[in-house]
Amino acid sequence: MTAVIEARALRKSYGSHPAVNGVSFTVQPGRIVGLIGPNGAGKTTVLKAILGLTRFDGELCVLGRDPRAQRDALMREVCFIADVAVLPKWLQVRQALDVVAGVHPRFDRARALEFLRKTDIRLGSRVRELSKGMVTQLHLALILAIDARLLVLDEPTLGLDLLFRRQFYETLLNDYYDKDRTIFLTTHQVEEIEHLLTDVIFINRGAVVLDSAVEALAERYVQLIVPADQAAQARQLKPFYEREVFGRIALYFDNRPHSELSALAGKLGELRTPTIADLFVAKLQGEPT
Amino acid sequence: MSSAEPNFPPSAAAPAAGLERELGVWDTLLVLTRREFWEHRILWVAPVAIAAVIVLCALFAHLDADAVGAVRWQTQAAERSTLLALVQWAVSLPEYLVMVVVLNFYLVDCLFAERRDRSILFWKSLPISDGMTVGSKLFVALVVVPLGVYLLALLTGLLFLVILLARAAAGHFPPGLIAWDSLTWLKVQLLMLLALIVAIAWYAPLAAYLMLISAWARRNAFMWTILPPLFAVLIEKIALGTDYVGRFIEYRTWGIWRFLHLESAVHTAAANAQNGVSVSRLFAEIHFAPAFANPDLWLGLAATAALALAAARLRRYREEG
Repeated sequence: MTAVIEARALRKSYGSHPAVNGVSFTVQPGRIVGLIGPNGAGKTTVLKAILGLTRFDGELCVLGRDPRAQRDALMREVCFIADVAVLPKWLQVRQALDVVAGVHPRFDRARALEFLRKTDIRLGSRVRELSKGMVTQLHLALILAIDARLLVLDEPTLGLDLLFRRQFYETLLNDYYDKDRTIFLTTHQVEEIEHLLTDVIFINRGAVVLDSAVEALAERYVQLIVPADQAAQARQLKPFYEREVFGRIALYFDNRPHSELSALAGKLGELRTPTIADLFVAKLQGEPT
Repeated sequence: MSSAEPNFPPSAAAPAAGLERELGVWDTLLVLTRREFWEHRILWVAPVAIAAVIVLCALFAHLDADAVGAVRWQTQAAERSTLLALVQWAVSLPEYLVMVVVLNFYLVDCLFAERRDRSILFWKSLPISDGMTVGSKLFVALVVVPLGVYLLALLTGLLFLVILLARAAAGHFPPGLIAWDSLTWLKVQLLMLLALIVAIAWYAPLAAYLMLISAWARRNAFMWTILPPLFAVLIEKIALGTDYVGRFIEYRTWGIWRFLHLESAVHTAAANAQNGVSVSRLFAEIHFAPAFANPDLWLGLAATAALALAAARLRRYREEG
């Protein structure tokens, strides 16, 4: 199966500051990939490169095309939500449907209308009259009615309340996602979406720190929780990161034989599979600076 | 628009894979043109408002017959047609003036506003090329709005004349002040259409220049439209003591109208008419061929294409912020 996104040694600098410094990764079809990193890590720059919105060095192939040279053709198969604020304020809901129907060969107006019927959005409203949550619903309705192979989301739920955030991702999973479609998204609210990701890419200071399928994480990473006075013994197994949790110490191990750790856990404490959020903190804090 | 409706039955299921409607360049251009009028409502509101004011004037204006020497006007057929032509011009002029002002603001704003409010990211999420976007805006500014205003002015003029003639018949005005003359009316409309086409062709590079600034400026787009030519004139004056840039700007602003020989046409017509200016004489003296034969007009159109391409190129990678 050909990859949806193939990135090799992406580089991009703003002045002398490298925003992205040799990033490589591959995204296969039918995956939901989270590009996760702190502010300023280079997430948005990577997304912009994928969407052909910025110049960069390196190789990048999206759905078999180079976003720099073939952006217009690419955008027929790629959908993109930047963040909630980009729909023009003057646009009426009805006009938004007209615009997308008029320019997008893969847009299904009936489907967008059907989705809008489930919301409180009226066709005569202007974007400026809608709440932030409703604007996101509108944008989502437009996007979900487009038969696109790749959906790119940049912090799509930024500034929304919990209810809308939950609803957003549920709709995305139920009404959009299937085995032929790929979702590539950035967020820093990892906890909320970790159950729906199939792959994670951690990025920090313009470089990939971790790139893994979610199911492989449990194989590779283990969290050992021990009482504080037992920590010294556990440290001999060379954790890459540790932190204190309610008076006990959580130690994070990368690629240690499970037998070795289980033996130790039996004596000292308990073994757990770290959550993506835990792992994110561990990888970023534990990274040699 | 019914043409934009998807032509397949609505389905509750996910859209079928590979579903793709045929959308031609004209479909896209039509939607993008409508989009400009939704966003910049001033483009049609301002000329229509002016037209409404003119029609109201025709309905309610009082005319003191003695003050304009109505008695003398009654007898002269040539002068009646001159008056008809003058009414047509006078009614059209305010609409064209407001159009020029509105188009200038529109052109400076059209590529700047979408970056200012970040909505460019929405437009760029759709399969519309930068060339198509810039082209649609130029199409609106150079074709749709001028021809729309032309038609509006034509209708306003007709309505104005009909109201005047009706009021004259009803005794509000002295009869015979204005008489309908199809040939004169047609000639005046043709003259204005040709002048409009000359104006569009001559000012096209200015429009494209404003769009380029609109695509380039990070803030104060209006200021940036004026500063580069101003500095060029000043620097030339200080460094070289010459005035070529200034003269070039003046030429590109008014120069083309000399080629129509308007002034000499008015003089000749006036000198040859014992009883006022003859309209048909005036028409005979105005020549459009020299304007179209002026190579600078065609060079300007080439410059328009180059500036529009540069604006599209800038829009491609001008990151917002």
